[in-house]
Amino acid sequence: MTKVLLIEDDGETAGEITAELADRGFEVEWSANGLDGLAKARDLRPDAMIVDRLLPGMDGLTVIESLRKDQVRTPVLVLSALGAVDDRVRGLRMGGDDYLTKPFAIVELIARIEALLRRPTETRETIVRVGQLELDLIGRTAKRGERKIDLLPREFRLLEYMMRRSDQLLTRAMLLEEVWNYKFVPATNLVDVHMGRVRHKVDGPGDAPMIHNVRGAGFILRAVS
Amino acid sequence: MQFIHSKTFHWAAALAGLFAVFVTVLFGFIYFSIDDYLIARSDRMITRQVDFFAGLPRDRLIGALDDHLGQDSRGVQFSGVFDARGKRLVGNVAALPDGIEIGAPAQSVPLARVDDKEAGATSVRTVARSLENGDILVIGRNVDETGEIFRVVGTAFALGLLPAFCLWLLAGAWLSVRAQRRVEDVNLRVQRIIAGDLHERLPHRKVDEPFSRLAAIVNGMLDELESTINALAGVGNDIAHDLRTPLTRARLNLERGRTNATTLEQLQQATDKAIAGIDQSLSIVTALLRLAEIENSRRSSAFGNVALDEMLREVCDMYEPIAEDKQIALSVDTSDKLYVHGDRDLLLEAVANLVDNAIKFTPESGAVKLELLRGEGETILRVTDTGPGISGREQEAVLRRFYRSDKIRNTPGVGLGLNLVSAIVKLHGFRLIIHAGPGGRVEIVCPDEQVVGT
Repeated sequence: MTKVLLIEDDGETAGEITAELADRGFEVEWSANGLDGLAKARDLRPDAMIVDRLLPGMDGLTVIESLRKDQVRTPVLVLSALGAVDDRVRGLRMGGDDYLTKPFAIVELIARIEALLRRPTETRETIVRVGQLELDLIGRTAKRGERKIDLLPREFRLLEYMMRRSDQLLTRAMLLEEVWNYKFVPATNLVDVHMGRVRHKVDGPGDAPMIHNVRGAGFILRAVS
Repeated sequence: MQFIHSKTFHWAAALAGLFAVFVTVLFGFIYFSIDDYLIARSDRMITRQVDFFAGLPRDRLIGALDDHLGQDSRGVQFSGVFDARGKRLVGNVAALPDGIEIGAPAQSVPLARVDDKEAGATSVRTVARSLENGDILVIGRNVDETGEIFRVVGTAFALGLLPAFCLWLLAGAWLSVRAQRRVEDVNLRVQRIIAGDLHERLPHRKVDEPFSRLAAIVNGMLDELESTINALAGVGNDIAHDLRTPLTRARLNLERGRTNATTLEQLQQATDKAIAGIDQSLSIVTALLRLAEIENSRRSSAFGNVALDEMLREVCDMYEPIAEDKQIALSVDTSDKLYVHGDRDLLLEAVANLVDNAIKFTPESGAVKLELLRGEGETILRVTDTGPGISGREQEAVLRRFYRSDKIRNTPGVGLGLNLVSAIVKLHGFRLIIHAGPGGRVEIVCPDEQVVGT
């Protein structure tokens, strides 16, 4: 069972997160302050951590920093009510792996935790495969079964990102950050438009769909079972 | 009596004191000058007299001396003849004074009168001369007039200076009381302003006087503050209004869903709609916070060299599908590689916002163009479109929070986009220029000190 350590001083938020994670089969350990959280992180060796920035006892970033000094590489998602431009940069520099600003949608949090737990390992593979879908990273070509798919460079980048994270929920904010390097959410639903184009090419007429829209959350790429 | 402690009064008193000292010194100087002059004059006179008497034969000398004393109605003349042993032979001098130098120029020695011994000796300017037969001739003149002059002038001076000094103090007191009254008045009004009455202004007259000028300056500041606060209050109302609309919708959705939904699916539909409404409210709050955050931040460590041409291509790449859907020709025109010093993420956000706006407000089959130009000592990033543009009347207004042109009332959006662009541009020390329509044309002008290499 995947163990997640949650360090968050607000009981109600912690309760919501714990319930949601438990529903999805995570074992959640909760700690309400920095010192206790740091101790638990050392003892329990969790698979992932969610750390609030502002904590009584010890600041969230200090907790992460001390863990990193001890060579603990557990992936950490930093939560913060502060959205300052520099804050995010600092959070990531101090050893956080991802950063989420409050208030956030719970699906966003879950998607990001799962993404952290299933970070794709660096491979030397030059061909990525998900079911019938095949991506040649050297030749920059794509195929579904025998059908060749013509992709623009930006579509190729999006599809590659999704194929490396197949079966994972990818939220719009995650895609904007990772594929387009956008640190903000634009007014227009850009992601949907791009996704529409790629889906149109990947899921041709008569094909069983591989790219799924999860209402109000994001997208999943799945092999056809 | 509070004015006694006031600075104005202290100054007035100090000046009055200084004036008094000055007048006293002047008086002293005049007195001593007159004194010197009178003494010198009387010395010359007695020297001439002694020369005259000494030249007379013995028999006429007695008579001449008697005549001389007889003519002296004011009793200031002294004269006498003594024999070699100091015995008085003739004249009104009681005795030959001790220590008198015979044959020397005029000197001050104590002399006593024969007829008025009680009065004792007074200091008198005197000349003594030896006569041919060994007798000693003494001629003196009392220069008491100077003392008299001193008394007269002194009295006049005291009578003049004292009232002047008092007048001065009075003027000082009046000035300080007046200043205090004005301060009191200003304080009263400032207290009213602090209490929230922003219409109150400080009193000032139309004269070029420091106090009035200060009041005019403060009033100018108050005008500015009042309009800013009014504008802020307006923004507050706008925020409340913009938040209430989606929240009301969300509430309605939830209420209706709760009452009417008979299946789980219907309930989910209602909640989805409600969540969308709440999300919109949240996005307004987020946009506002982000705006405040950018407006309050300074150049950070995130600043570096940003390749504008690459950035424009990225933005274009991002928006191309949307433009295509609306059959809008989106193009980038950059000839050179141009760099500016800035925060890449923020600049990208600004440009994306401009392009987002341009595409949103350009009707189908229009065109949106991104250009990068070199101006005189500056790099210009220009976004043009074939949409309605911004009218001259609206040029200022579009930078107001939540301002939405009437023409686009029903286009979705929060109405903070240009505020955000403006804040980002300001943070970088760039300029945002919004040209009047028809056709949208917005420029971000980056002055050259920001451009690092070309």
